This record gives sequence, structure tokens and C-alpha cells, in this order.
Amino acid sequence: MSDAFDLLILGSGSTAFAAAIRAADLGARVAMVERRTLGGTCVNRGCLPSKNLIEAARIVHEAAHPRYAGLAPADVGVDFGALVGQKDEVVRDYRAKKYASVAGGLTDLELLEGDAAFTDPHTVQVGDRVVTGDRILVATGSRPTIPPIPGLADVPYLTSDLLDADEVGRLTELPASLIVLGGGYIAVELAQMFSRLGSRVTIVARSGLLSGYEPDLGQTLADAFTAEGIELLTEARADHVRGDPRGVELAVEQAGAGRVVRAARLLVATGRTPNTDTLGLDRAGIKIDGDGFVPVDAQLRTSQPHVWAAGDVIGRQHRSQMATPVGARQGRIVADNAFADAARAFDGSVIPRAIFTDPPIAVVGETEAEVRARHYPAVAATTPLLYVPRAGAVHKTTGFVKFIASTIDERVLGVHIIGEAAPEIIHEAAMAMKFKATLADFVDLIHVYPTMSEALKIGAQAFSRDVTKLSCCAE
Amino acid sequence: MTDQQPILFIDLGVGGMTCDDCVVHVTEALESVPGVEAATVDLPTRSAVVTARSDVEGSALAQAVRTTGQYNAFERGRRATSGE
Repeated sequence: MSDAFDLLILGSGSTAFAAAIRAADLGARVAMVERRTLGGTCVNRGCLPSKNLIEAARIVHEAAHPRYAGLAPADVGVDFGALVGQKDEVVRDYRAKKYASVAGGLTDLELLEGDAAFTDPHTVQVGDRVVTGDRILVATGSRPTIPPIPGLADVPYLTSDLLDADEVGRLTELPASLIVLGGGYIAVELAQMFSRLGSRVTIVARSGLLSGYEPDLGQTLADAFTAEGIELLTEARADHVRGDPRGVELAVEQAGAGRVVRAARLLVATGRTPNTDTLGLDRAGIKIDGDGFVPVDAQLRTSQPHVWAAGDVIGRQHRSQMATPVGARQGRIVADNAFADAARAFDGSVIPRAIFTDPPIAVVGETEAEVRARHYPAVAATTPLLYVPRAGAVHKTTGFVKFIASTIDERVLGVHIIGEAAPEIIHEAAMAMKFKATLADFVDLIHVYPTMSEALKIGAQAFSRDVTKLSCCAE
Repeated sequence: MTDQQPILFIDLGVGGMTCDDCVVHVTEALESVPGVEAATVDLPTRSAVVTARSDVEGSALAQAVRTTGQYNAFERGRRATSGE
């Protein structure tokens, strides 16, 4: 095959694959460049392996804490090495089915292994090879941010790369104790997972948990974590790190006082940094912002007209999110725009998002603070899951649903849930919002009784009724 | 219309073709564009070479193919008929 391609894609994650599949459909000859493992973050060291192990940790926890009178706690025993082994098999299986075999099945797709660096606007060097792209997509994703904490470079530390099945950063031994640095979605998911598998976990977070989300979500989660025995140090600044023979010690400043936290391992989960620093984007005339993200217009075109960028590398522009399905959508849009003159714009106004803690969290649309910040007339109501029949029936009443709705037309602007099954039921809210549903639409829909989805019906009714006095089925 | 316009080859990528009937449909679509003298469509390489006046826009060729509702085309480049 020639070294000149219609579409040269840097990266091989969900964004890259969606673009490659669509571009190939449209007749393009496509090359994809990957310097790590085929498939990108999600399948190799992100969503997929974390969800696998989080579910195992839930089984361990529920066995030990059965919630029901009449069920005795049981210790199921954790063989961490074996757990990691089955996780690795799942990763390899998904990578083979969803990425490698898909790539193999595409006509005119070439995979190139190595670091990619632009030499001019159409030319990229990959190892010894020089390839050109008539059109180019930058979809190189992101990696864990490493904060500038004195001493960090001198101690071994973990990142979410510990989830990987085939790279050196993978973890195969359960740490007896673990400091999790960070309070975002990756930090909280992994902190609870390790705690439930048997590590003694301390979270050190600069603000509270899940800043940027509805504040009550992080507070409810913090209470649940504390009840499970996870130690939380919030509003805490990491001052410096030191290694000692037994592990690491992190000096923390909290409310003006200093203290030292010790653990066998340190997990750094303080955010994600776009992978744009080694690409030589300047040689291609592609601008980046101060944080390394690639500015794009609504059709995902960069400052260089024949180059598009999508997925994690565009950060939160155009209401995008750093998330697998968002990148995949954007990859398809880029292919349509590049080869079918579709002029499609990315619409990030309704993107459901979930955090797979227990209780889990799921959100769609704006937070109350975001709505207030744009001075839009709106009203919010928070309904505890205590009022959802299923929650009481299965002894899982922790959590709430919060609606934010327009006071002009009662259109729903945001839905924020923490509680049982939140990542599943959020799709009802997302679909409703996609069709511009009002509070009345949620109330009008007959819901299956008793399901956690009734939380949406009850939460919408909370604006007009006293939901503590509803009979069965919330009518 | 002018006869002064030079004739050249326009290379296209073509998507969506699965059989010889598709080749016929895409060829007909391309040859329906004013200024096109001939179109050679190749299924295995998913490409087409159009012999046309130089004022024929790639977008017009692409549009003609897309109007079929089943296929896509885009311009890869153009070259002189006298040689590569």
C-alpha cells in the first residue's frame, strides 16, 4: 500500500476507530498511528477494565455487608492476581473483538505502530516511515496528569494505567494501603474499588469530591465512603512526597495544619492531560491552547483546514466531554465532514455521564450553578431516593435525584442522580431532554413499578406535589 | 461552455460500492455531469478516474454520486492527460 492516505489518523481509540470505519465507508484510504496498545484508553486502561474490577469489588463488599436481616455476612476471599488475570482476559477479548478484528475487516486501513510527529502540514514521521495524509485527524487522547509535587518524580507511583493488561504500568499485587491523590471521577472509582478489595485507602483531594458536579453528589458519596472506612482528606494540599522502605509518605497541608499520610502505594489521579506535546503540531500549523488542548470549530476543524481534532484532545470545547462515546461520535462527524462535505457540527448539549461508584452517580445536562450563571430562570428540586418504592424494597435508599427545570416552559435542563442504577436510568432523562421534555412529560409516562426509574417520575412530581404523600406507583 | 478548457484526469475515492451494478450506477452518475467525457470506476480499489474539462468541480462530481443516495465520492486530485 502507498504511503499516501486520504485520511491519516493519529491515535487508535474510540474516536479514531469511529472515524476510520466511517471514512472507509465513504471510500477513503485510511491509516491509523498508535504508539501504545491498539484501542486507546477505554478498552485497555480505562472504562472497561475499571468496570470489570469495580463489579468484582461490589460482590466482595455485598457479601460482607448483605443489607438484609437474615443474611449472614460472608468473606468471599480475594485473590487479586487471579482477579487481575481475568480482567486482562476481558481486555484482550474486547480489544480483539471491538478493535483488532474490526480494523482487519476494513478495506484500505493500515495500522502503523510508533510515535507520530509532523514534519509538515501533510506529512507525519512514524518511526522510520514517512506517511502523508490529504486529510488528518488528531485523536491522540489523553493521559493521567502528573502534578508538580516536590519529590513525586523520585518515588514509584501508580496512575490509572495500573488497569492495563499488557503494559509495564499494570498492577498485579493488591497494595495493603493506598493513598489516592485526587477527588475526580477516576480517583473515587478506584479508591472505592481498592478499599473494597482490601486496601486501606486514604483519599487526598484539593477540594471536595467531584468538584464541578452538583455539590450534593460529592457530599453524599463522601458520606458513603466514610461509612465504608475510606479516609477522606479534603481541601487538602499535597506538599511533598517521600519514599521510605515500606512505601510512600505524603505530606499534606489541610486547614493550615500539616500532617503526613503513609501508605504502601500512591495512586495519582488528578486529571487528564491531552497527548499533544510530542506531535510537532507547530510544524503542521496546528494551534494548541495553554493546557495542550487543540482548539477546533463546531465542525471539529483545527486552525489548519485539512486537519480535524476530536476526542479527549479537544477537552470541553463545544460542550464536549472527555469520554469514550463522545469521542466516537466526534470521529464519525469528522469522517462525514472530511469526505462527504456534511458540515456536521458537534452537539454536546445532551450527554449522559456516569461515575461507577457505589452508590453510582449519573448526570445529564446542566448543574444548577451553570443555569444560574447564565441567569436563566429556573427552579430546582431534590428528592431523596427514600421516596422511591424500589429503593426501600431492596434496602438501597441512599441517594437522591435532582431536577433543574425552566420556569418559562418547565423544560428539563438537568438531571443529577446518585443512587442505585443511576447509570442505567439516566438514559430516560437523556432521551427525554433530547426531545425537549418538560417536567410534565416525566410525570405523564407510566413507569414500571417498582423500579429505580420511578425516581425520575417522582423527582419531576416534587415540583408540584408533596412526594412524601404519594401512594403506590406515584400517581 | 467553452472548448478552450483543457481536458484532464480527476481522481476520486468512491465509497459504498459492493457489486458491478454499483459500478454502473456510479459511472452513470459521473458521466451525467456536464463537462465529463468519460468515467472509469473501479470496484476493488474503490476509486474512479474521470476524464473531464478542467473547469469541472470535484464537488459537482461528488454531488452527482451522492445524489444516487447510496454512494459517496470525493476528489483525490487531478492530473494532466498527457502523462502522470
